[in-house]
Amino acid sequence: MVTPRALEHEFETQDLMINMGPQHPSTHGVFRMVLTIDGEVVRDVVPYVGYMHRGAEKLCETMDYRQGIGYMDRTEYLANFNAELSYVMAVEKLLDIDVPERAQWIRMILCELNRISSHFMFTGAFGTDVGVFGTAFTYSFIQREIVQDLFEEITGDRLMYAYFRPGGLAWEVTDNFVARVHEVLADMRQGVIDIDGLLTHNEIFVARTKGVGYISGQDAIDYGMSGPALRASGVDLDIRKAEPYLYYDQIDFDVPLGEHGDVYDRFVLRVEEIRQSIRIVEQCIERLQPGPIQPERMPRMLRTPPGEVYIRTEAPRGEYGIYLVSKGGNRPYRLKIRSACLSNLQALKHMTVGQYVADAVIVLGSIDIVLCEVDR
Amino acid sequence: MNYDLFGLELNVWVDALIRVLLIVGFMTVSVMGLIYIERKILARFQRRLGPTRTGPMGLLQSLADALKLIGKEDLRPKSADPWTFEFAPYVVFIPVFLGFVIVPFLFGWQVRVIELGLLYFVATSSVNIVGWVMAGWGSDNRYAMIGGMRAAAQGISYELPLVLALLAVAMIASSLNLQEIVSAQGRVPFVVWQPLAFFIFFVAALAEMNRPPFDIPIGESEVVGGPFVEYSGFRWSVFFLAEYAALFILSAIGAAVFLGGWAWPLGEELGRGWQLILMSAKTGMLIFLVFWVRASVPRLRIDQLMGYSWKVLLPLALAQVLVNGAVLVYDWPKQVLLVTGVMGLLALFWVTERAVRQPRTRPAMTIAQSEAAS
Amino acid sequence: MRGIAKSMLTTLSAFTRRPVTREYPERHRPIPERDRAFPILLWDQGIDEPFCTGCHACERACPVECMTVLMKDNPRHTSQGGNSSRRKIIDKFWIDYGRCMRCNICVEVCNFDAIAMNNTWQGHELSVYDRSDLVMDLPQLLSQHRQGNLKEWVAE
Ligand code: SF4
Ligand code: SF4
Repeated sequence: MVTPRALEHEFETQDLMINMGPQHPSTHGVFRMVLTIDGEVVRDVVPYVGYMHRGAEKLCETMDYRQGIGYMDRTEYLANFNAELSYVMAVEKLLDIDVPERAQWIRMILCELNRISSHFMFTGAFGTDVGVFGTAFTYSFIQREIVQDLFEEITGDRLMYAYFRPGGLAWEVTDNFVARVHEVLADMRQGVIDIDGLLTHNEIFVARTKGVGYISGQDAIDYGMSGPALRASGVDLDIRKAEPYLYYDQIDFDVPLGEHGDVYDRFVLRVEEIRQSIRIVEQCIERLQPGPIQPERMPRMLRTPPGEVYIRTEAPRGEYGIYLVSKGGNRPYRLKIRSACLSNLQALKHMTVGQYVADAVIVLGSIDIVLCEVDR
Repeated sequence: MNYDLFGLELNVWVDALIRVLLIVGFMTVSVMGLIYIERKILARFQRRLGPTRTGPMGLLQSLADALKLIGKEDLRPKSADPWTFEFAPYVVFIPVFLGFVIVPFLFGWQVRVIELGLLYFVATSSVNIVGWVMAGWGSDNRYAMIGGMRAAAQGISYELPLVLALLAVAMIASSLNLQEIVSAQGRVPFVVWQPLAFFIFFVAALAEMNRPPFDIPIGESEVVGGPFVEYSGFRWSVFFLAEYAALFILSAIGAAVFLGGWAWPLGEELGRGWQLILMSAKTGMLIFLVFWVRASVPRLRIDQLMGYSWKVLLPLALAQVLVNGAVLVYDWPKQVLLVTGVMGLLALFWVTERAVRQPRTRPAMTIAQSEAAS
Repeated sequence: MRGIAKSMLTTLSAFTRRPVTREYPERHRPIPERDRAFPILLWDQGIDEPFCTGCHACERACPVECMTVLMKDNPRHTSQGGNSSRRKIIDKFWIDYGRCMRCNICVEVCNFDAIAMNNTWQGHELSVYDRSDLVMDLPQLLSQHRQGNLKEWVAE
């Protein structure tokens, strides 16, 4: 915080510039920010992105639609199903095909489970940022591991699933899918209790996070934030409710909202979203009926008619949008990913300036960025 | 002048040498043991296995680490200040090591029975702050410098409550000699009469040792190791040694001063073996508590840390000293101490909770404001 | 203080629970049969030759272009006096595991069910010191199924 004395320039002190990242334990990947600090107070932040740029969008333009799925996984490696979903939905919309009901329900279950595992990743990493030595991290990763085990049984891979296809799914889920999902949900409930007990009410945690990294709802909208970071500021925008895709309109769930727009609200909101996701999966499981998982006749090589679409879905970190332009043929003419993290990151300076160095770290953590998605 | 060491009549220098060697050996082994135990216990708190590979159940892990550290290249940044940089680890380590002199291991046995034992301990243990600042300044690294400054601020702030908490007990025992303090407790350890002082001592000791939640100088997620950032190999291991030696010493002193040291609450005179077991058990309890706290709490921020010391712990410690003085002067019954101590503890908890439940009134400064300021 | 007490009770309850980690190289986690490690070629045990005809379909479909396929006339085709119905057969085959992104597309496009994703631990533990050691040639790709240690799973 700025002391009045420092503001009045009674003492002239020299600002210090420190370089945080790209190799710093709490920059969540290869992110670099140059902090200008006055004592312990941050005066300026200059973020640098782009260390992870691999040109995923451009690469996808050289590939046919099926090959692009693998690249979508790699743009958003914590919520791969959500990323794949945006992509295949865009292709489906261009092709104008109907996806069988069973495939949609399974997509929904997997996306929500993915949201749970992604939010657990957040609680773990955030716990470390706040300074719990590894405990929050291991508790969260135990839960993530359980979800990943389920995904591996279904899709064959722990991280890069490549499971959704335009029109449906690549293959049927395992026979014991329903039972396994129930098992996983039981574990998730325990995991939420653990994380909740460890952090939410801990006085030190509350003292560290409350009132830190404040951003008002209007500012958040101006910066183009989305997802939990936006909702923590009290803006009720959840694409699952606002523009329901899949079958979210048939499901009963709440969208938690924050009041203060600070780091604490962002944390509590994500924990609450885990609970809501568990609710959603429970309802989806009940409605799951046997049936096909791919439309009757799918061409071996997808050729889209000319046109352009924009599809957005609610990924764990916010609005994940795919803008797809086709000029005919089997590959996109232009593909643009609207990355939630990149937009959310814009507000970093707004939230950090005037806070302590230690707060800069947790503010960055609370945005919950995935550098692969920022840089693509 | 001759001294008596386990019944042997020895020349003073020979005696001192033997004692120092004993302590050095004991310390090295105990620190390695502590590191192993901490890793195992922390792993269990985090549902991991901990070290398992080196030796049976990973017992030799610390030894392997020590060998690795000694074998490593001792790097010094080109722009570092050579003298400050190279001597800092020892300035941190030696004061801690000096603290071993007054740890009362058994009845009648410590390296030296010093009349002003507590004062000696308080005086020596605060010197290592200089070493931290030296390490931070000499490394010519901005993270290290921030860490060093934080260490200085924290060390000085928490020295006061620590000293006052010990002083409160010394008043009740009417002695600064640790042997006498332990003997004065008799059947009821001082933690019963001085719960507030014990709590303040524990919190301040955590801060003195830079253990979580007060590991602000070395906070890995912020300043990446703080003053240690540029150290490697042997010099780094000296810092490590000092950290764990301090953990052991402060726990042992806490056990002696507040938990009754080698005394068994129910029985009478005990043999040396039992005394050693009791002393180790009580020290071990405190050490386990430190590990447990480490696994459970996040790190405080520097301003909250300072505020907690100066606004909460220090006034309460002073109040405790005042109450103790009144009890001594007016010869009030000891129960008064218990009641006031518990009340003080409740007040402390209440203040802590209230501080947290405050409404959130600190909006982030706007960018325009900050540009105007800079 | 109550919150900190709750945190400490949470960790204490975890202290009493079973650790979840495993001593990895000694103890392997059982992996599901759908597991996708890296693609390998299958061996036709009946005729004792690879299934692969070298048709280049997988090579063309691979998004990262990590495969190289060369085809030849099958010397054991019935017209040559052999017992195989395959007119053409694979001559040389390389897959660069260092580039493969394990997308499963090669398996999906193969018309002869000649390629599959490895679903054993052998397919995962591939650490080498030199990247060029990750370029697998035909015998290496075939050896595992030829020895019969592959769990069968065919995506329907
Ligand atoms: S593996 Fe299959 S697709 Fe690839 S060359 Fe062989 S037969 Fe053709
Ligand atoms: S799995 Fe994908 S990347 Fe790997 S060889 Fe097959 S097609 Fe290529």
